[in-house]
Amino acid sequence: MKPKKKNEFLYFALRNRKLRIGLAIILFFLLLALFGPLLIHNAPFDYVNPMGAEPPSSQYWFGTTFFGQDVFAQFVLGLRATFLVGAIGGGLGTLIGILIGFTAGYRGGIVDELLNMLTNIVLVIPTLAVLLIIAAYLQVRSILTECLFIGLTAWPWAARAIRAQTFSLRAREFVDLARMSGMKPTRIIFTEIAPNMMSYLVMTFILQFGGAILNAATLDFIGLGPTNAISLGLMMQYAVLWGALLLGMWWWFIPPGLAITAIVGALYVMNVGLDEVFNPKLREM
Amino acid sequence: MRRYLGRKLLIYLLTFFLAVTIDWMIPRFMPGDPIMNVMSRIGAVVNPSAAQAMYEYYRHVFGLDLPIWQQYFNFWNSLLHGDLGISIYVFPTPVKTVLMRAVPYDIFLLIPSILLSWWAGNHFGAFAARSKWLDNTVSPIGYILTATPYMWLGILLAWLFGIVLGLFPIAGAYSFELRPALSLTFISSVLKHWFLPFASLFLVGFGGWAIGMRNMIIYELEADYSHYLEALGAPRKLIRQYAFQNSILPQITGLALQLGVIVAGALVTEVVFSYPGIGYLLLAAIQNQDYFLIQGCFLFIIIGVLIANFGIDIIYLIVDPRTRRGMAGETA
Amino acid sequence: MRKRLLSVLSLGVVLSLLIACGPTPQPQTVVQTVEVEKVVTKEVEKTVVETVQVEKKVVETVQVEKPVEVVVTATPAAPTEAVYKREETLYVSGAAWGPASTWNPFQPGSLANTTGTIGNVYEFLFAFDPMTGEFIPWLAESGNWTDATTYEVTLRQGLTWSDGQPLTAADVRFTFELGQKYAALWFSPVWRYLTGVEAMDDTHLKFTFNDPLYQEWANYLYNLPIVPKHIWETRTEEEITTGTNENPIGSGAYLYETRSEDRNVWIRNENWWGIKVFGKPAPKRIVDIRFSSNNVALGAVIKGEVDLSNNFLPGVATLVQKGYVKTYFADAPYMLSANTAVLFLNTTKKPMDDAKFRRALAFAIDVPSIVNVAYANLVKAASPTGLLPSLSRFDDPDVVARLGYTFDTAKAKKMLADAGYKDVNGDGFVEAPDGSKIELEVTCPFGWTDWMAAIDIIAQSAQAAGINIKAATPDYGAWNTALQGGTFDMTLNNWAGMSNTPWTLYNLLFRHPIQEQMQSGNFGRYDNKEMFDLVDALAKVPVTDEVGMKAACSKIQELMLTDMPMIPLWYNGLWAQWNDSIWTNWPSEAPDAPKILPSTWSGYWQMGGLMTLINLKPAQP
Repeated sequence: MKPKKKNEFLYFALRNRKLRIGLAIILFFLLLALFGPLLIHNAPFDYVNPMGAEPPSSQYWFGTTFFGQDVFAQFVLGLRATFLVGAIGGGLGTLIGILIGFTAGYRGGIVDELLNMLTNIVLVIPTLAVLLIIAAYLQVRSILTECLFIGLTAWPWAARAIRAQTFSLRAREFVDLARMSGMKPTRIIFTEIAPNMMSYLVMTFILQFGGAILNAATLDFIGLGPTNAISLGLMMQYAVLWGALLLGMWWWFIPPGLAITAIVGALYVMNVGLDEVFNPKLREM
Repeated sequence: MRRYLGRKLLIYLLTFFLAVTIDWMIPRFMPGDPIMNVMSRIGAVVNPSAAQAMYEYYRHVFGLDLPIWQQYFNFWNSLLHGDLGISIYVFPTPVKTVLMRAVPYDIFLLIPSILLSWWAGNHFGAFAARSKWLDNTVSPIGYILTATPYMWLGILLAWLFGIVLGLFPIAGAYSFELRPALSLTFISSVLKHWFLPFASLFLVGFGGWAIGMRNMIIYELEADYSHYLEALGAPRKLIRQYAFQNSILPQITGLALQLGVIVAGALVTEVVFSYPGIGYLLLAAIQNQDYFLIQGCFLFIIIGVLIANFGIDIIYLIVDPRTRRGMAGETA
Repeated sequence: MRKRLLSVLSLGVVLSLLIACGPTPQPQTVVQTVEVEKVVTKEVEKTVVETVQVEKKVVETVQVEKPVEVVVTATPAAPTEAVYKREETLYVSGAAWGPASTWNPFQPGSLANTTGTIGNVYEFLFAFDPMTGEFIPWLAESGNWTDATTYEVTLRQGLTWSDGQPLTAADVRFTFELGQKYAALWFSPVWRYLTGVEAMDDTHLKFTFNDPLYQEWANYLYNLPIVPKHIWETRTEEEITTGTNENPIGSGAYLYETRSEDRNVWIRNENWWGIKVFGKPAPKRIVDIRFSSNNVALGAVIKGEVDLSNNFLPGVATLVQKGYVKTYFADAPYMLSANTAVLFLNTTKKPMDDAKFRRALAFAIDVPSIVNVAYANLVKAASPTGLLPSLSRFDDPDVVARLGYTFDTAKAKKMLADAGYKDVNGDGFVEAPDGSKIELEVTCPFGWTDWMAAIDIIAQSAQAAGINIKAATPDYGAWNTALQGGTFDMTLNNWAGMSNTPWTLYNLLFRHPIQEQMQSGNFGRYDNKEMFDLVDALAKVPVTDEVGMKAACSKIQELMLTDMPMIPLWYNGLWAQWNDSIWTNWPSEAPDAPKILPSTWSGYWQMGGLMTLINLKPAQP
């Protein structure tokens, strides 16, 4: 049963255009983030070009900033930071969401009510306002603290979705069967329910990943990002503060925003593609 | 129906209570001394003895010389009387006055962009779901738009339409040469300044709703009842209509969920365009360590989101007959 | 003339009849008063002599008929202009950093939000021109020391307040005595050595002192706004120290008209006493715009929406070359120098309590890169004494030659090594002689982009010399708290602006006594009685005794450069760029242009801003 299922998924996965395109874009940027820093000779904040801002050339692939810093160096390191925030922030959010969503969905009753209430409360409070205030408390912020904030405030989305799925799966026969056969709840969760929800979990993670990246970019742009590193959002902020577009330095401003748009867009496309792969009804379209 | 509304109200009241408490804690737990900040803002006091007197005066004005629990009760008391304290950043204007000046701009910006992007996005998404060809050409636009960071789009629009083409202004709420008056010039100036911030919020929202609707419709078109109707020979248009009506429901709930995100988007858009709304005020308050203004902004945002949520719940109640009859449908 | 008087009086009667029939609208802003006067003065503009006399009479009429002001709004004859004509309006920006909230001239901090209140509305005894070092008689016609402890002032004739009352010596005396009554006002310390103010008649004043600080007194002459006694004498202490003073009545060339979150609008006072002396300022309105950040200002400047921008604009050099704006100098550094950016070292913390460490640090900082890279040549490196170019005559060249510093990494390393700072653990950074690790932070407020770039360079160059310094940018509030509370490691500050005397800078650098909160100087808490005595001695040197001042400065500079408690780095520019499509005759180095400061910053109106304004001519007459 299982191997055939996997093959079936893989077959459709590789055939699905959306998934292919999305994955390709993500992989491109991932490789750039991983290996790009090996290609650069300059540190991102070094003032390497005494001429100040210059358009892309063979020496500086993405040109230089107002101060003569290498935009490409900043870009690849910023990509790393962006992927890190997406992975850790999104991962944390997914994890907390899974914990709360599973527990609420599986246990039901008063536990469900309480957790549901908690989820709704956190959901309604505009997270950016809270993030702004928290971030303002800390005078020095690192990328990890940013991941922490984002994860701690983005989980309600995942929790809701997972709770709904868990609800519907819990009522199915094979779970009842497993329970009657005396399996422990944790084993049931891991061996019976989880595999059926795998697709859902993956899609939730992808959405959290994308959301975390956007959230981080917004925080960075306002000025509450990490104070000791570079990220794509920070690049955009510096570019705006120093009037990049107004002064014609498009190479400083456009690549970071374009990269974020491409990555998050690819993630969303992948998400829809995965939905089609896992849900046969959608495959025809 | 009563159960549904009752539950919602309970959640909102709890949220409000929690939010207000967090709100109250802000000045008390932020690093730094808010009174010292006030004093240094309103002018260096050279004389040490005068400094002490002023310090005590401001402590009293801001009510920080009472025990903590009394401060908390006083806060609720003044809140219910509509008194939000005095701003430090714009000393000595009361916080409420500062906020009330900013609220109209936010409403003016947010309500049209939210409603229009929702309406247009949903119809567009439904449109895209009609045929594969449409889907493949039109969907990518939706993906790109929804993945674009608000501020990046805002800056691009400002640069393209404001500077390169010079069609629109890029800062402020109305032209610097005008005074508010009920005249055509003033209104057209307000609209011109409003258009670009509105456009950036609209476009991103539009993309998101379009994609969401498209996915929902496709899902509905593959449901059993759709196939059944098709087998009965019903026209495609009718099937699509039913699919649309069924897809609207989750989109309404989606709207409520997205409010927090949209508020965030409005904040950065306001910063990009120097549009004097509450988000912009909140950022300025944080940068200037004006705790009381931060409190006020946060409170306004929360209240706004809660009211909007409640409004959407009521609309949902009207639209979905299942909730009215207390059937399982969308739970809380 | 009798006929004209008759028509004026009959107009008044007609208007007062209208009141009786018309509605009673809400009290309007002061503008309406101006409108009324304007209507009348039009008739009598021809003869100068008559204008003076008739004006006075008209003003009295208006005074009596208070309701007249209100009704005018109802009559279509004098509508409130909802659109300001471009060729009549001057758009400035770069001075206000928050929404306008107060017009109280005694709240110096908040005036950052309503700049122009002092200058446009309230005036001072003298104006000061840092370019020439001269005091320009303003409200006062002359002032001098008749003996070592007496200063006499003669006011001009015919000074008036905007509500028509005359400005006399009684007002000046009242203003000064406010400082005596209320210790909370910023100028109250003058009463430490000022013993009495006497108004001998309407235009003569005598100030008597006890052991006067001549240098500080000169500051008050052009910084203290004179307020009307007949309005302020009935106010309570709370109103005077923290009130908003809405609808301010001043003696100045402009009146407050209106405001919103991002702009203040001033309208010309057609009855300004200074019209006879200085001429009528050409712009009818001044709109002072507050942009949320400098890059937004840049956009507005490129679009030509701002006449004068006193913001720091990124890429000004490019803008000048492309012809968008003009600046004082046609070439680098483009800007005049406004104040000295000083790196304050917190001398209460290790290792900054070691003078040798501080001196080594001074050689390690790459000031040329700050000037060339961070500022793209918009500024100049500072003299080690910290004094601005306008006061360079007080630099002691011998002291500077012996003890001055330049950027020299190798020398910095050697000095560190000689002082016992060695890298024991091989991490590339030196440790203190007692072996403790050195990890320092240099800070500036977040968002001050030019300073952020500067502290990056400071950190990097210090690291190249082996000192582990990292740059951090807390938000303004946190930065300010750390600054005044003395919890920072090292930070930038430039609060000593242009002044007529070197004492202003040294008073900031070596402010004493050391208190728990240092609000106006000596943030690094350098505690040295010898230095304090030297600064006090300088304060007591008469302003006319340049030789004495130079000697006192020389001693201060010698001690300062030996101990190096703070490091002057560069001169911040007096950011000013303008476009002359609507207004011309801006100050510049060009031969026929006025040589004054083109700045609307708080405190700069009386140092050139007003004169710039008065000199402006319409580009298309």
